[in-house]
Amino acid sequence: MFKKSHPLQSKSEIILRNIVVIAMVIFFTVFLIIPIGIAFVGSFHEWNPLSGTYNFLGLKNYINVFSSELFWTSMLNTLIFSVVVIIFRVCLGLAIAYAIYSSIVKYKSFFRAVYYMPVVTPMVAVAFVWKFMYNPQLGTINQLLGLDINWLMNPKTALLAVMIMTIWKDFGYAVVMYMAGLYSLPTDALEAAKVDGASAWQTFRYITLPLLKPMTLFVIITSIISYIQAYVQILIMTEGGPGTTTYLASYIIYDEAFVKYNFGYASALSFVLFVITAVFTWLSFRVSGTKE
Amino acid sequence: MKRKINSIILNVVLILVGIITVYPFVWMVCSSFKQNSEIMALEQHLLPQVFTIDNYINMNERFNFLRFFANSLFVTIAITILVAYTSTICGFVLSKYKFKGRNLLFGFVLATMMIPWCVTIIPKYTMIQEFGWMDSYKALIIPAMFSGFGIFNMKQHIATLPDEILEAARIDGANEYYIFHRIVLPMAKNGIFSIAIFQFLWSWEDYLWPYLVINTKEKQLLAVGLKMFNGQYSTDYGALFAATAISIIPVLVIYLIFQKQFIAGIAASAVKG
Amino acid sequence: MKKKIVAMLLVVSLAVSGLVGCGSSTTTGTAGKTNVEVPTEPFGDTIKYDPVVEINDGKDITIELWEWGSDDLFQQVIDGYTAIHPNVTIKLVNNPWEDYWTKLPLSLNGQNGPAIFNVHNSYHENLINYMAPLEIPLEDLQADFTGVDAHVIDGEVYYIDYGMMTGTVYYNKEMWAAAGLTEEDIPKTWDEMREVAKKLTIKDGDRLIQAGLNFNDDFHQNYLLGLNYQLGTNLFLEDGRTPNVNSEAMKQVMQMLVDMYEVDGIGSKDFGEKGADSFGQGQSAMVIQWGHYYNTLQTTWSNIDFGVFEIPTFDENPYAYNRYNGESTFGVNKNAPADQQAVAQDFIKYFLANDEIQIEFNLAMSTFPAKKSLADNEKILENPSLAVLAEHIDRYIWPGSMPSTMETSLKKAGQDIFYNGVDIDTALNEAQENIIRDMENSTFTSVENLYAHAE
Repeated sequence: MFKKSHPLQSKSEIILRNIVVIAMVIFFTVFLIIPIGIAFVGSFHEWNPLSGTYNFLGLKNYINVFSSELFWTSMLNTLIFSVVVIIFRVCLGLAIAYAIYSSIVKYKSFFRAVYYMPVVTPMVAVAFVWKFMYNPQLGTINQLLGLDINWLMNPKTALLAVMIMTIWKDFGYAVVMYMAGLYSLPTDALEAAKVDGASAWQTFRYITLPLLKPMTLFVIITSIISYIQAYVQILIMTEGGPGTTTYLASYIIYDEAFVKYNFGYASALSFVLFVITAVFTWLSFRVSGTKE
Repeated sequence: MKRKINSIILNVVLILVGIITVYPFVWMVCSSFKQNSEIMALEQHLLPQVFTIDNYINMNERFNFLRFFANSLFVTIAITILVAYTSTICGFVLSKYKFKGRNLLFGFVLATMMIPWCVTIIPKYTMIQEFGWMDSYKALIIPAMFSGFGIFNMKQHIATLPDEILEAARIDGANEYYIFHRIVLPMAKNGIFSIAIFQFLWSWEDYLWPYLVINTKEKQLLAVGLKMFNGQYSTDYGALFAATAISIIPVLVIYLIFQKQFIAGIAASAVKG
Repeated sequence: MKKKIVAMLLVVSLAVSGLVGCGSSTTTGTAGKTNVEVPTEPFGDTIKYDPVVEINDGKDITIELWEWGSDDLFQQVIDGYTAIHPNVTIKLVNNPWEDYWTKLPLSLNGQNGPAIFNVHNSYHENLINYMAPLEIPLEDLQADFTGVDAHVIDGEVYYIDYGMMTGTVYYNKEMWAAAGLTEEDIPKTWDEMREVAKKLTIKDGDRLIQAGLNFNDDFHQNYLLGLNYQLGTNLFLEDGRTPNVNSEAMKQVMQMLVDMYEVDGIGSKDFGEKGADSFGQGQSAMVIQWGHYYNTLQTTWSNIDFGVFEIPTFDENPYAYNRYNGESTFGVNKNAPADQQAVAQDFIKYFLANDEIQIEFNLAMSTFPAKKSLADNEKILENPSLAVLAEHIDRYIWPGSMPSTMETSLKKAGQDIFYNGVDIDTALNEAQENIIRDMENSTFTSVENLYAHAE
C-alpha cells in the first residue's frame, strides 16, 4: 500500500489538489449545503413565497405529512412501483444483455441501439404516446390484444399500466449496463468453467452472475434514486387518479410545491423522502454485502 | 443443429422485443404527419390517411423550435464538456492523491447523488435570483458544473489506472498538470465518454430548472418547448410528436457514434467499483 | 474511426445550422404588421378612451405583456394601441397555460416582472399581491360591465371580467335526426334530457356503440360545480369560507350522474376517455361543455354537425341555471416602474372602451360579453353557444375565484365513486374534508351572496 503511493508531494501536486478540493467544497457548499439548509429550516415553517408567508410552525409540517392518508397511499404506491420496475429492469436487462452477448446473435450493436432508444427520449413525449396507446376505444393495446380495459382509469390496472410504460422506457439502460459488464468479464474464468465441463446454466449461475454483482448493485442503486423521484409519468398519464390510486410520493411534492405553493410542507416531504432514499440505498449495500 | 435452433429462437425473441420497443416511436413519427383530428379519430391507422407536414411547419412558425434546438445544443454541450472535465480532475485528485479528509469528501460526493431534486430546487431558485443570474445561461451552466455522479464514476475509473505510469512521469520531471492533461486524460477516455453521454442525456432532457430560470423566449430550451403544445383547453398532439421526433435525433446520433466508448467506459468504472 | 466521427459531426452540425437558418428566415416573415385604422375621436360608453391624449409625454417606452395562447388576438390589441401611440412598444410574451401560472408569480416576485399580464381568476390568490388597482373609477366600471361588484376588494378593483363562460349542451344533429328526434324534442328538464339520451343511445347487446350523453373526465367541472345552484344550494356556507360540497343538492346531482350511467345506461365510465373527445369522434350524441368547446369543435372536429341548447333544469324556475366563470382583463404589476404602469393602465382603458376588441375577445373565447351594451350585439348572437345563453344570462352565479382544490377534490370524489366503488356519501364527505384542509391558509371568500337574485 505504502509502496504504491508516492511519498513525496511535489509543489504542483499540492497546488492542483488545493485548487480542486477548494473548488469542489465551494461548489457543493453553495449549490447543495446552503440550499439544503434553507429548505430544512423552511420545512419547519408555513412558507408560501407568493403571499410572502413565512411563519414558524415547529414540527407541524412533519406531523401533517405522517398523519396524511395520501402520504401513506403514495408511499405504498412508490414502494410497489419501485420494487416492480426495478426487478423487471434488472431481470429483463440481464436476460436480454446475456442473449445479445452470447455468440449466436448477429447484429449486436443494432439491438443494443434499438433497446436504448426509449432511454434517450424525453419522458413527457413518451408518456403522451403511451396515454394514447392505453386509450380504451382507440388505443393500440386494446386493439392488438382484443381487450376492453380502461387501463388508466381502472384502479386495478392504472398503476400497472404506468409501471409497464416505465419498464419499457428504462430496461434499455440495464441492457447497456449489463452488456458493459459482460464484455469486461475475465475470459479465463469462463474458459476454465468450460474446460471443467460446466453447463451453460451453471456457468451463468455460478460464475457470470457473481461477477456481475457490482453492476447489479449499480443498476439497483441508480434505479432506487431515480424511481423514488419519479413524477412526470403520473403528471401526464393519470394525475394520480382514479381517485388517489396512482399517487407517487414525488408527485405530491411537485403538486404541493409548484401547484399549491406550500413550500414548507413540500420541503418537509422532501426530507422524509430523502431519508427513505438513503435508507434503501444503504440497505441494498448491506444486502449485497459490499462495503464502502 | 441444436445451436442453430437456439440461435433462431433467440433472434426471434430479440426481434420481437425490438418491435415492441420501436413501435411507439413508429407510431409517434407517423402521427407527426397526421392532422390532429386524425390522431384522435376513432378509426386508427398507423400510416397517415391524409399526409401533412403542417405540424413541422407550424411548430417552427409558432414556437421558433429550431432556435430552441440550437440553444439546447449549446447549453448541453457546454455543460457536458465542463462536467466531463471537472469530473475527471476531481476523480483524479480523489483517487490518486492522499490527503486528510479525502474519504470524507468522497463520501459527501456520494451522498449528493441521493438528494432529491425537490429539496434544493426552491432555495436554489431564490439564490439565482439574488445573484442576478435569472434569464441567463449562467444560471443553467454554473450550478451544473460539478456532478456527484460524474466524480464518483471517474474516481472509480481512474483508480484502475496503474500508478506506475504516473510515477514514471514524475521521475521524468513532469509536473501534475502535465500528468493530468497528457497522461490521465487520454487514458481515461472511455470513462469520460460514458460520463459525457450520461450528462448530455440528462441536460438535454432537463425540464424544470431551465423552465424556471429562463424567461426570454429566444433563450428558451427544447425540453421546455415541448410543453408549449399543452394549451389551456387542448394539446396540439401533432406538433408535440413532430417536435419530439426532432428532439431525440441529436441524442441518438451522439449515442450511436460513441456507443463503443460509452460501454467500455461504464464497464471500467462500474464493474470494478 | 476518427475520420468517421469527424465526418458525422460535420454532417450533424451542418444539418443543424441549415435548419436553424431556415428557422430564422421564416420567423422574420411574421413581423409584417397589418394596417390599423387610427381613431381620432374619443370612443366608449361610460369609460371613454381619448386617442389624442399622449402617453408617457410622447417619449419612447417599452413594456412587456404576458399571456398564454392566442398570440394573434393579443397582437391585434397591441397593434391597435401602438398605432395610436407609436412611441409605445409592447413586447408580447407567450407561455403555455400550465407553465404560465408557475412562472408568472415567480417572475412578479422578482425584479423584472412584466408591467401587464393576462389574468385568470382561478389563480387570483397567487397574483393579487402583485397587482396595482385599476385607475378607472369604480362607478364607470359598474356602469359599463356586469359582475364588477364581485371583484371589489376594499373599494378597489384590480381586474374585472370581459366575458362570462358557462356550460351548454352540444348535440350531434345527425344522430338527433337518426333517432327520429326534432327541434320539438329539445329537453327543458333533466327528466326529459334522460329520455332523449336513451333514444340517442345505441347498443349491441351489452356493448355500447353510441352514448346518448358522455360526461367522462369533466363531470366535476360541468355538472357537480354548478347544478347545485339549480337546487338552490350554494357551493359555500354563509360564512363564505366553508365548502358545502357534501350538501343534499350535491348528493342529488351525483346520484343523477350515477343513475344516468348505471340505471339508464346512456353512457359508460369506460366509453370514451373524455366526453369532449368522444363527441368529436362521433361516438357520443350529447355533451355538456363550456364555451371554449365551441372553438374546439370548429377547429379539431370540423366534420361534426352540431347544435346547441340551454342546460336543462330540475324544475321550471330554478334559483340559478349554472355556475359561470369570468375571462378576466389584464392586471397591472404594482412593482413595475411608474411610467410603465401608466402605459399599462392606459392600455387597459383602451381595451375596455373598444367595442370591436371586446367582441373579438368574447368570440374567440366563446364567452358572453360582460359589457352591457354588447349583450344583444348581432355578431355575438351569431354564435349559437352564446345565443342560447342570452335569455337567462342574469341567472348564472359566479362563486368567486375558487381555489383549485374545489375542482380537484370533486374530481377525485367522482373518480372514487365511478371507478373505485366508493359510495356517494363517503366520497363527498372526504372531498369536503380535503377542501377544508387545503383552504386552511386561503384568503378566499365566496361572492355567491352578490348574485343579483340571491335569496
